[in-house]
Amino acid sequence: MTDQLVPAQPTPTTAVMEPPLADAAGGRRIGVYVCHCGGNISDYVDVEKVISDIQDSGDVVVAKTAMFACSDATQQDMVADIQAQGLDGLVVASCSPKLHTYTFRAVAGRAGLNPYEYSQVNIREQCSWVHTDDREAATAKATALVNAGISRTRLTTPLEPMVVETLPHTLVIGGGVAGLRAAVGLADIGLRVTLVERELQLGGWVGGFGAMYPHGRDGHELIATLVAEVRRRPAITVLTGAEVVGKAGSFGNYLVSVRIGGDGAAALEIAVGSIVVATGFESYQPEAGELGYGIDGVVTLPEFKALVDGSAGAASGAPGAAGSAASGSPLTWHGRPVRSLAYVYCVGSRQPADVEGANQYCSRFCCAATVQTAVQVAGLDPSIRQFHLYRDMRTYGKFEPLYTEARKTGSVFLKFAAEEPPEIRREAGGGLTVTVRDLLTERTELAIPVDLVVLVTGMVPRANEELVNVLKLPAGSDGFFNEIHPKLRPVETVVDGVLIAGACQGPKTSAESVASGLAAVTQSAAILKKGYTELDPLVATVHAPACTACGDCLTACPYDAISMSEGPDGHVAVISPTGCKGCGGCVPICPENAIDLLGYTDAQVSSMIESLVEVPA
Amino acid sequence: MTATATAPTTVDLGLYSDIQRFGATDISACFSCGTCTASCPLSQTDSTFPRRVIRYAQLGMKDALLSSKELWTCYGCGECAETCPTQADPSQLMAATRRYAIASYDRTRVARTMYTRPVVATAFAVLLAAFFALFMYAAHGPQSGESLAIFEFIPEALIHNTGIVVMLLVVLAGLSGIATMARRIGRREGVGWATVFGSRRALTRAGRAAWYAIGRESLGQARFREDCEADAANLEAVPWFRRRWLVHALTVWGFLGLLAATALDYGLALLGIKETGTPVPLWYPVRLLGTAAGVALLYGTTVLIVDRYRAANRSVKRSTTADWMLLGLLWVTGLTGFVLELALYLPEPPAWGYWVFLVHVAVALELVLLAPFMKLAHAVYRPVALFFVALATQGDQP
Repeated sequence: MTDQLVPAQPTPTTAVMEPPLADAAGGRRIGVYVCHCGGNISDYVDVEKVISDIQDSGDVVVAKTAMFACSDATQQDMVADIQAQGLDGLVVASCSPKLHTYTFRAVAGRAGLNPYEYSQVNIREQCSWVHTDDREAATAKATALVNAGISRTRLTTPLEPMVVETLPHTLVIGGGVAGLRAAVGLADIGLRVTLVERELQLGGWVGGFGAMYPHGRDGHELIATLVAEVRRRPAITVLTGAEVVGKAGSFGNYLVSVRIGGDGAAALEIAVGSIVVATGFESYQPEAGELGYGIDGVVTLPEFKALVDGSAGAASGAPGAAGSAASGSPLTWHGRPVRSLAYVYCVGSRQPADVEGANQYCSRFCCAATVQTAVQVAGLDPSIRQFHLYRDMRTYGKFEPLYTEARKTGSVFLKFAAEEPPEIRREAGGGLTVTVRDLLTERTELAIPVDLVVLVTGMVPRANEELVNVLKLPAGSDGFFNEIHPKLRPVETVVDGVLIAGACQGPKTSAESVASGLAAVTQSAAILKKGYTELDPLVATVHAPACTACGDCLTACPYDAISMSEGPDGHVAVISPTGCKGCGGCVPICPENAIDLLGYTDAQVSSMIESLVEVPA
Repeated sequence: MTATATAPTTVDLGLYSDIQRFGATDISACFSCGTCTASCPLSQTDSTFPRRVIRYAQLGMKDALLSSKELWTCYGCGECAETCPTQADPSQLMAATRRYAIASYDRTRVARTMYTRPVVATAFAVLLAAFFALFMYAAHGPQSGESLAIFEFIPEALIHNTGIVVMLLVVLAGLSGIATMARRIGRREGVGWATVFGSRRALTRAGRAAWYAIGRESLGQARFREDCEADAANLEAVPWFRRRWLVHALTVWGFLGLLAATALDYGLALLGIKETGTPVPLWYPVRLLGTAAGVALLYGTTVLIVDRYRAANRSVKRSTTADWMLLGLLWVTGLTGFVLELALYLPEPPAWGYWVFLVHVAVALELVLLAPFMKLAHAVYRPVALFFVALATQGDQP
């Protein structure tokens, strides 16, 4: 909408004044552009009146309206004005800064003006759209906002992005399938890698799996392949039994503490440029009594998969699972043959929103994993009756044929309503009974006698509080780590240089985990291979003489960017420009007003407030 | 079928594989979409099938299955098998489930053996016919050379008395089966004695339902004719005299006509009007009825056999031993009857006439005796189920 270029619209009002004499006295030369936004603004705000009200403010050299300020034509006009009029400040009153701050900073840059001499004023979201009922007042408010923008711009100074050298070394946290594949990818792209795994063995969940879809290769075999690849690359250092316990420094130059060998052990310091977090997931652990969990013969999906994988091994003559072979039945539970079983889906996933701390997400992998397991069970003995009690079957994408295969190998599917979950109890005679109302059979209530009940448990985030604290990892309400944008920046976090991959981000299949691991490789390379990075200069600075070294700002900083330093005049707070994110959290905390945020200095903000509260004549 | 707070239905884990033994094709690919029900020309809003029946079979809902009147609403046209997106064959499952139901309503387990053990069944059928033949032959008299005196060869009384005993057995077995079935369906449908005989209105309603089940549907083949065969592809490909409903109807009428002719002939003898076996001209009413019925039966069964052999249409794509056995017995009975009639009218009585007669009697007796235990049983079970269908569809109509 706002990007349209509308020709032959009302000619923008132009008020180019002769350079006033005051300029010679050190005033600013500011250009102000007020946008119609094709009517989004001008339908409710008299933009012409805004121009006429502000054009006589001091320092305003150019004041214009534009049908679409963001259009190419207007941008070219601005560049021409800046150059012709020798402007040293730019104000565009249009939409939210979220949309076009970078657009107009770039305009300034193209005209040879420092981009940080630009101020965006929001008169759309914060004015025209919310005051559609009062044109006069909206116009007055827009004028005040523009005046505030002009006041801020009077106090801008040129700022330059900080250039920081980066270390070509990535820390990968988590030695599961995603972390291992990422490590190999990073090494291949020419970066050094340190892989940290909390357990003593690499492999994660996949390392414990038997045959996996679609090729039927064992999970531990896949991991063995990956581990061999890791071992073949001298650029990769693997630390097992190790945990990340500290992080200092900033993007491009992190100093990470890794403790090997449990509590009390010495920590190793590793300097890295970026960090890939691939800490995986935890399987949902049902509470006692939840769908019969705790009753003998009610097991979770991982427990059942281990049983089936073991039985499959026994059937093919592998050692170590002789128990089942002895009873003559290919699948046994506690020595009893399993002749029939029921799977209950969506356990710990897709919980109703009104439940405290509910897992509202779909765990994504479990439907496919379960039907695949059912096909495996049918392979052990096709006469084992298998009932699948599901809410919705989501064997999406290439897993769909598995669902068909499961049906063809004798699995029967029953659909239950979320509000009427199955009930599971153990009969006096020893067998289990699953009672369920089948939506596919006239809601008939059925009692299914089974030998085993498998609760199809989903994924939950790992309990990794220490790591979250150390890395300042952002987690969503579901507890999984959050990316910046699911489509545009899917592996980056708000902490620069800290990337996420695999199921720590949310439920994923192993294939999806690997893909996101490789996405993190690309992103890591993108920020490290250049050798340097540019950081936004809008950071906090300490006016050293005013600082009393009280230390309040140290605890206020969420990024650990402030430290106390010994100066010539005693202790003083020092803010690392590369660690600071410009959040401004330390500014109001300082009792001496010794901290200023560049781009939003106290003086600038005060001047804006004064402009806003000024009663128009 | 109102949802009441009854105990949950306990699933029978072995039901599905049991039904498989009755010749069902593998239905496990079914994902319960209901295309079969949607495409079925006979499925009605209040009594839908085949999807519902498939669910019963898959899940092991034995009681629901055996109390389903819907099983018998299906005429096996095979439309559903063509529309099924998973290439499961609902039509075959329906057929197998009917066989399973026949076997379940029969308490003797004879039907179960006949259906599930083809070799035993075939051997049993041959031995039974041989038994009847030997049993008759044991009491044989002279084979007259002057005329074909069949009742001198095998005593008429022996045949009649054996026939009566066989009939009694069949009626007993049939009634027992019908009672089991009616009790099951009745309980499911909420139909009891009072619903049928309780009031004048109930009686009228039951009478109308009975007419629908026996007259309109079983004898008249109304929906078979109007709905099942209304399939355009069928109409174009098949001439009227080969149409499934007609061929089936001729077989039914032929069979019933022959039964009637036999009974009437016996009746005439009891009344002393005509001794059984007395030569009569072809136009003699009972003889005429028998001949016409025989022609119908023989034509019907011949076409049915040929079509089934050729798998000529989608409803006979698959055949079981039970299908062949019924057609075979009907055809042999019909054929030997005709040959016998021919022999009777020949100027010189042929010696083989006596043997044809012996075969005819033995096979006919076997056909009647086995009726409740084989495919022929559908002739009684289907009308009973259709009676309940009619009662349900009439609902509370005045």
